[in-house]
Amino acid sequence: MQLSECLQREHCLMRLTATTKEAAIAELTGTLAASGLVKDQPELIRRILDREKLGSTGIGNQVAIPHAPTPAVSGLVIAFGRSEQGIDFNALDGQEVRQIFLIGSNPRDLNVYLHLLARLSKLLNDKFFRHEFTRARTADELLAVIKKHEKSALAVTK
Amino acid sequence: MAIRNIVVSVAGAPGSLVTAKYAIALSKLLGAKLTALYVVNEKVLHELLHTRIFVEAEAQAYARDMEQQGKSFLERLQKMAEQKGVPYEGFLLKGVISDEVINKTKAVQADMLVIGELREVTSVSQLFYDEGERIFRKSHCPVVMVRDQAMVEALFKEI
Repeated sequence: MQLSECLQREHCLMRLTATTKEAAIAELTGTLAASGLVKDQPELIRRILDREKLGSTGIGNQVAIPHAPTPAVSGLVIAFGRSEQGIDFNALDGQEVRQIFLIGSNPRDLNVYLHLLARLSKLLNDKFFRHEFTRARTADELLAVIKKHEKSALAVTK
Repeated sequence: MAIRNIVVSVAGAPGSLVTAKYAIALSKLLGAKLTALYVVNEKVLHELLHTRIFVEAEAQAYARDMEQQGKSFLERLQKMAEQKGVPYEGFLLKGVISDEVINKTKAVQADMLVIGELREVTSVSQLFYDEGERIFRKSHCPVVMVRDQAMVEALFKEI
């Protein structure tokens, strides 16, 4: 399964209003819940924040990937948010986070979930992807960049 | 030359059940023993640890969950094979999926390897990195790729 197949246009928030980690997670899970993809939003938030307590999902380069498996979602859900001002995620490189991919998955879809995280990780490690990705202004542009790089020779993980 | 050993590679996804049913049917029809392989994909966990998306405790928890899912899935296959009177053995392996499947298929001297449908390839590189593609190209024995769920379900009921 490819990231571009999972991430829907309506779940790309190009201007997050949140200014804190907790608020950003609430805003992103909210957009998924509004589409009926989340059975229990408070539980999804709780599981994601529990994961954050183990260590920040701010992986560097102004990117965070808050994630958790939970029965609060039926399948695999993903939302993207961009913060203009930056959010303190206690990231590993100390930078504020501006790009957030939030991923939740029902535990029965564990393999797909892990593959999607690995695929996203590969993409984000590619400086050419990051360059184009951060310049995408709209959700459509963002999805086009993801699709393009997933098809390119650099997107190699399945 | 008789087909005595059939190996099926499964991953626990819904599609794997269809793959397993076809392998059980083939084994029954050909009078072969069925060996099921479930590989806990440690490679992906290492990648996620390396890129710092996972922390150590988290990766260990996922490894345990994947192992438990694998055990449960293999137990389910054992019951299905026994119901159809097919000699069965299941192996829970850990590592890189394609390497483990290829090595075990050789070790049990399989005459045939049954796998699920390959994913759509969208780049040349995926041909080289997809685990299913690797298994397909490296197998020492004939590989059967399972398609058509309705046909498989009907065949499984018949045997």
